[in-house]
Amino acid sequence: MPLSTFSRRATLGLMLSTVAMPVLAQERPVVAAANYPLAYFAERLGGGAADVLFPVPADADPSFWRPGIADIAAIQSADVIALNGAGFATWPTKASLPRSRTVNTSAGFSERLIKTDTVTHSHGDGGQHSHTDTASYTWLDFTLASEQAGTLADAMMRQMPDQADAIAANRDALLGDLAGLNTHAATVGATAGSTAIITSHPRYQYFGAAYGLDISAVDWDANEDPSAAQWAALEDTIAATGAAVFIWEAEPATASRERMATLGLTDVVFPPLANRPAEGDFLTLMETSLQQLEAVLRDR
Amino acid sequence: MNALFLAVSYLRFHWARSLVLVLVAALILSVPIISQVLLNGSQTALTERAENTPLVLGSRGSQLDLAMNALYFSDDRANPVTMADADVIWDTGLGLPIPLNTAFETNGARIVGTSIEYFEFRGLDVAQGRQIAVLGEALLGASVAERLGLGPGDTVVSAPQNLFDLDGVYPLELNIVGVLAPTGTADDEAVFVDIKTSWVIAGIGHGHDGVLAQGATSGDIVASAAIIEFNRITDDNIDSFHFHGDPSDYPVSAILLVPNDDRAATILRGRYLDPENPVQIIVPNEVIGELVGRIFRIKSLLDAVTLIVGGAALAAVGLAIFLSYRLRAREMQTAFKIGARKGMILRLISAETIIILCIAGAIALAITIAVQANGGAIVGWLLAT
Repeated sequence: MPLSTFSRRATLGLMLSTVAMPVLAQERPVVAAANYPLAYFAERLGGGAADVLFPVPADADPSFWRPGIADIAAIQSADVIALNGAGFATWPTKASLPRSRTVNTSAGFSERLIKTDTVTHSHGDGGQHSHTDTASYTWLDFTLASEQAGTLADAMMRQMPDQADAIAANRDALLGDLAGLNTHAATVGATAGSTAIITSHPRYQYFGAAYGLDISAVDWDANEDPSAAQWAALEDTIAATGAAVFIWEAEPATASRERMATLGLTDVVFPPLANRPAEGDFLTLMETSLQQLEAVLRDR
Repeated sequence: MNALFLAVSYLRFHWARSLVLVLVAALILSVPIISQVLLNGSQTALTERAENTPLVLGSRGSQLDLAMNALYFSDDRANPVTMADADVIWDTGLGLPIPLNTAFETNGARIVGTSIEYFEFRGLDVAQGRQIAVLGEALLGASVAERLGLGPGDTVVSAPQNLFDLDGVYPLELNIVGVLAPTGTADDEAVFVDIKTSWVIAGIGHGHDGVLAQGATSGDIVASAAIIEFNRITDDNIDSFHFHGDPSDYPVSAILLVPNDDRAATILRGRYLDPENPVQIIVPNEVIGELVGRIFRIKSLLDAVTLIVGGAALAAVGLAIFLSYRLRAREMQTAFKIGARKGMILRLISAETIIILCIAGAIALAITIAVQANGGAIVGWLLAT
């Protein structure tokens, strides 16, 4: 290669790298999410212009997952930190998060949150006090999910003003999809009528309340076969409620499904999608779950 | 050369008297310079930090106490306000509220509970270790770390508020995770924790073993006064920590306000003008500006006092030297009788005086340089105490 050609190419390469470096070095905005629905909303709203940080491992329950120090450091430096609120995951109450970049997506409907168990105790001479738990799977009421998506969109627009128009357009599309899910869920509620439903975990309070479903719950671990005592407790619940449908939050063992049939229950898997699914996304999987539940209820 | 040799020999022989003369002269030379350096340093530190802090919200009362506490973490603390006051600012969208809880101390240093935004606002960098991440972690200011000889991996314990309150809040052991780079400000003298950690120290949050006895259901009340609260937050017990009461009622000593722009600052100030409002907003630059004005009025007085005292001390030293030479009259006469000329005796006395003044000047210079080099830390300490 003649020296002059080499020099020209070297100069051109240097110029291109000089021009490209700022572009490569420019960091994309990051949105950290506390659960998969919020991560999905952030992905839809960002439309590829923002990175979404959802550090919960695939085999962990985001409600109980606790981030490591490295995870918290990454979350602290995110441009938007999307929390579910409603008591979903306790780690945000123990982590140092920048309030200016943190958004509690359920803060706008705090009066609509569903209260659950209350534990009362005392310390020293301070008298008794109570801890009231709150149902936290808010997104299963798709109107609340829409409010959460809207709140997240507002926070993203504040932190990413350059992307505000695109985020607003993406928000409208997302809210349209969530409205579709809400319509379908309302149809499911109408189809259910007075049919009582039992769920494998107490996570469907908002779904039941929003769409008029009579839902009771047992407290089974999604990854373990139910024990004899748990089956006995289920039989008691069936006797008390007259339930005819059982919702699993995750795919159970075949034996468990067969035993469910012997109890006279029609079962269906309806993942609440707190964690990222192996396949599919929030919209398609929710649609599938609603279709399956509707089919089961219609066949009763 | 002979005069210099004889002068040094004389001063060495009468070392105690020479030492006193040197120290007195050194102090007379250095005190006015040191006071000048510290006053100028105080003025710079006060005004710079005040200029860099747009607004402070706190309990109505002494504006100076509020500014000194919020900016320099001084002992002068007004009544606390609550997180509800920070929420009000937050909801207006006119600025960023940065809460400060400065109610506690450890090892003579102020524990400052705040939010992550404080470090960004003040431009504080972590020199060793890492940023605080969870409850119970602490970041040391550079001077505190140096004074205590502590760093990441060590611990400090919060001081009890009242030694005689045996049933009071347990001191909390804080895990040091980092040390801040020195800034020459009050931040060097503080121990920073998350504001939630400061509420744990206050007893609003706590952790303990499970409250349910074996076989009990969540509806049973089985906890009692026998429950022991944890006094250190670890990986194993952090999940048990929780807070009681309405978070909006949690106390904060002061709230730094960073308005979006001048218009937002004006609107915010206007909302807290009512003297009946128990909460006020102050402009630190105005409050500290007034204080600096007073300092300079006092400084003029101080300069006059220093001049008079310095003159008197100088006269005293002159008198001491004169009397010393009077005492040495016979010695001088002997020198004259053995052949020393008057000029030689004068050179001898001059050499002694010059040597004393040179050594005193060198010591004064060293003291001044040392004070100047540590001026920021000294001023920060003076302002915080």
